[in-house]
Amino acid sequence: MNYKLTIGWLYPDLMSTYGDRGNIICLDKRCSWRNIETKILRIDFDTSLKDLETCNLIIGGGAQDRQQELAIDDLLNNKGKTLKQMFEKDIPGLFVCGSPQLLGHYYMTGDGKKLPGLGIFDYVTKHFGHDKPRCIGNTTGEISSKFKNTIVGFENHGGRTYLAKNCLPFAKVLKGFGNNGEDGTEGAVYKNVIACYYHGPFLPKNPHIADWLIATSLAVKYGKDIQLEPLDDTLEWQAHNFMLKKLNIKYEKESNRT
Amino acid sequence: MNILLILLAKFIFYFSRLFNIGSGGTWPGEVALRLNKSILISFLNQANKGVIIVAGTNGKTTTSKMISELLTGTVIKNYSGANLLNGLVSAFIINCSLTGKIVVDWAVLEVDENTLPLLLPELIEYDKKLIIVLLNLFRDQLDRYGEVDTIAKRWEKSLMNMPKATLILNADDPQIAYLGATSNAIVKYFGIEKPEHFLESREHAVDSIYCPKCGNKLIFEGIYLSHIGVWACTKCGLKRPTIEKHSWISPLLGIHNEYNTIASVTVALEAGVDKERIEKILSTFLPAFGRQETIEIEGKKVKIMLAKNPAGFNINLKTIIKQNPKTLLVVLNDRIPDGHDVSWIYDVDFEMIPDDVTVIVSGDRVYDMGLRIKYAMKHLIVKENLREAIQKGLSEIIKGETLYVLPTYSAMLEVRKILKGRKIL
Repeated sequence: MNYKLTIGWLYPDLMSTYGDRGNIICLDKRCSWRNIETKILRIDFDTSLKDLETCNLIIGGGAQDRQQELAIDDLLNNKGKTLKQMFEKDIPGLFVCGSPQLLGHYYMTGDGKKLPGLGIFDYVTKHFGHDKPRCIGNTTGEISSKFKNTIVGFENHGGRTYLAKNCLPFAKVLKGFGNNGEDGTEGAVYKNVIACYYHGPFLPKNPHIADWLIATSLAVKYGKDIQLEPLDDTLEWQAHNFMLKKLNIKYEKESNRT
Repeated sequence: MNILLILLAKFIFYFSRLFNIGSGGTWPGEVALRLNKSILISFLNQANKGVIIVAGTNGKTTTSKMISELLTGTVIKNYSGANLLNGLVSAFIINCSLTGKIVVDWAVLEVDENTLPLLLPELIEYDKKLIIVLLNLFRDQLDRYGEVDTIAKRWEKSLMNMPKATLILNADDPQIAYLGATSNAIVKYFGIEKPEHFLESREHAVDSIYCPKCGNKLIFEGIYLSHIGVWACTKCGLKRPTIEKHSWISPLLGIHNEYNTIASVTVALEAGVDKERIEKILSTFLPAFGRQETIEIEGKKVKIMLAKNPAGFNINLKTIIKQNPKTLLVVLNDRIPDGHDVSWIYDVDFEMIPDDVTVIVSGDRVYDMGLRIKYAMKHLIVKENLREAIQKGLSEIIKGETLYVLPTYSAMLEVRKILKGRKIL
């Protein structure tokens, strides 16, 4: 059987600050190398809700301040409700860089303005003004039960996110700042949606997450578990392990990776 | 001027050069600045004719080299890359007398994006000729510079009150052009009118496609690179300013160098240089190191093209592809001058490389670079060791052919060291 996936790319013109496109390229190629047909749907202001609903996977990236305001406007007024319903129906999503800030209850800007979020995740984000240093640097984390092993990447954010008690973090920080530089949590998971402060091209160096998103999208779409053909990920894990080494992380399960 | 201070700073320069430690291009200035904050302006006041400041994400080094050579009279300029305040001061320290005297007609300063707003307030009252040429703003080292909009806002603020300055602005970059509307300086625009060079499709990495005045999406009659082209806003009516037609021939390859050339010529004309001299100097102009610099090795050529951000990388790739290359070497480092964050390689359109070209990757972040090329589905060779990577590249071409090297800043220095040292032979 020939599988097909529609990948929804949220506001590629507005939310593509620094290499975020890498996630789309990665998913697209990993599907095509397995003969899974993909359609990349660029979701913009004029994308209809009907088209949005055809997506089997949603990807969001980072934006400059002005662009982020335009995006959140369109989400709150037009597409937010539909997206929320899709996520409730287990459609997977990945939100990196600044986009997680749109998905909590609110985002408090540096000058104390409270911008409402979509309320998908049970968390809030605060920016403490430009006097408090941004969280910048290479980072790595240990992923919670739903996934396996480690994640690596780069973070660069001014906002700090605080999870509510029942909100499941995506990872435990091994090196870096994570959500707020205080509680050791990184990102959040709700159903099959991942929010993560790692920015830009998160997936190429974390192929296990890319494949989890692909497999889960297929499972939700076709209503059955689908085994993905293994790919030669030597280079992917070389890049991943290089960062673990650079950050002085010895991870025991390293050899168990496929 | 404090003789002891100059003596100390000069000593630091010779000491660091003698023992090859740190950078002789920035240390002396750093120390001098800490002891005397107004030292830079006291140097600039000594220039007989005036000061020329060159800023922008890409093209600073080539443009300031070109301007320096076009000008008549004596010129002092800072070292390429030493473009923070400490680098500017160092250039003078190295060349001044013990009493801090400097005899020079022009100072040509290549200035870092973040440094420009720090330097300009000191020059508000500057009473000789002050020319500020602004080339472009692209996404570059987000972890160091922040977003393009942020830099544009800081520039706008610092240029607002410069009544004695002459601003020379790129009309084709919307955010740069708009600086002319908000400043009280004398403003001149440069740009290109060659519709035959419009891109067929837009690049992925575009930064300023929204109106700098009202925020509406801009329309483009055509784009030359990234977001640089003939633009207009249909909502508020802001549009690309009119430019003078010109027929200067760029001595270097690529549309980006046409911008560098016309920017330099506009400055030269403003500084009173005659057209015959401009033509003569341009016809024999040689590139700055690492910027289309060609090194010959046993009849084979190595062309080094510094590529440190998506806009620069894309334009270099396009320029190279027109030369029918066989082999490229991409060297990605992540040190301080390169930026620690290498995410930007996914904003470069490597997909445009023809399928029969071999891409060798190396550098500190060789695997990240390799992955990017893998996902662009090009013929890839991974070489952790830079020396071996260069050797491999040379072995892939025959005499008379060119190996094109695209390195980040610190990688460019390493590549030059290996090639100039001839140690690989």
